[in-house]
Amino acid sequence: MASRLSRFIRPIASTLNHKYGGASSRTLGCIQRFASFGVEGETPKKPTVASHNPLVRQRLRDFGAYIAECMPKYVQQVNVPYHDELEVCIHPDGIIPVLSFLKDHTNAQFLSLSDIAGVDKPMLENRFEIAYILLSLQFNSRIIVKTYTDELTPIDSACSVFQAANWYEREVWDMYGVFFANHPDLRRILTDYGFEGHPFRKDFPLSGYVEVRYDDEVKRVVVEPIELTQEFRKFEANTPWETFPQFRQIEGDVQKPMNPPEEKK
Amino acid sequence: MASPRIVQQGIKQVKPLMSVDRTEARRRVLNLYKAWYRQIPYVVKDFYLPITVKMGRDKVRELFLKNKHVTDIRIIDMLVIKGQMDLVETANIWKQRNHVMMFFKDTVNPKPKDFLSKFYEGQE
Repeated sequence: MASRLSRFIRPIASTLNHKYGGASSRTLGCIQRFASFGVEGETPKKPTVASHNPLVRQRLRDFGAYIAECMPKYVQQVNVPYHDELEVCIHPDGIIPVLSFLKDHTNAQFLSLSDIAGVDKPMLENRFEIAYILLSLQFNSRIIVKTYTDELTPIDSACSVFQAANWYEREVWDMYGVFFANHPDLRRILTDYGFEGHPFRKDFPLSGYVEVRYDDEVKRVVVEPIELTQEFRKFEANTPWETFPQFRQIEGDVQKPMNPPEEKK
Repeated sequence: MASPRIVQQGIKQVKPLMSVDRTEARRRVLNLYKAWYRQIPYVVKDFYLPITVKMGRDKVRELFLKNKHVTDIRIIDMLVIKGQMDLVETANIWKQRNHVMMFFKDTVNPKPKDFLSKFYEGQE
């Protein structure tokens, strides 16, 4: 497979070798770096729609399969969701091994940690999803490593692998309440001292639990429980504009497509 | 008619947060309580709080006893972790006076309970 692919891209690679001092065409990033060159002359490109390069996607899939083969204990799923980026779903025990593999492997070199994102999915048993977004400057490629946890299960801190994880993990702790074991300095980073709760959780109300005001009598800022009373309202989530006039839905009526007006007589 | 659903029994294995058994969790809670108890005179002095040391210690006791119904070791550990972070923030004077006085809620009026006081408040 690899030889067939390399034959396919040899013309590109040989022209690039002059320019970039003999960069290896077998690496993942090289292909992706010149992704836009591959699809020329097939279909007219739409400037607003991201185009896919099947070659790049295949290479990513191969690389994902390679990762899964290297770390079968931890990698649970590998997919290329939409953009030409790889997504690796791992077991929470494997954060340190997988991240250090991706950082130190010659053909990966994901040396930079762009972000750690948290996602709250309350319907799941392990409700928090932690996504590590890595960047390989060598191969101009990004990868997303996803894992999961719940409110009380600690997950290993990535600080020993990436220094940058320190503040990102503090942010995830502060916003979601996910505890990172072995973190050198886990404390709040965004919320005020004395703030209770984790505001990015889905069950945290939009208005919060407390309101803050300056009290002239005690001469300091006081925090009081919020009380917002309002009359019962029925919200209508539909847009007031007709988005799909062909499928006009009348209230209390089953959805049925309206026939377009007949042209012939 | 027997229920078709099989009741799952057994022990679910969980990863401990810090403590592995109740004794350890209890020791952590007591240590945290002692640390708060010893810190209170300094807190009152450093922040010029309008309270006595006795009032501060009573508040610490009250806040600890508020969670006395908790039996899950992991929840106890999580509460200990948060209390420890709170203590560090207080002891290092990262907090300000108003943050420490948040515990006392001295400006919050209690909600009216009986009919007449609700009437005076204009609720009913």
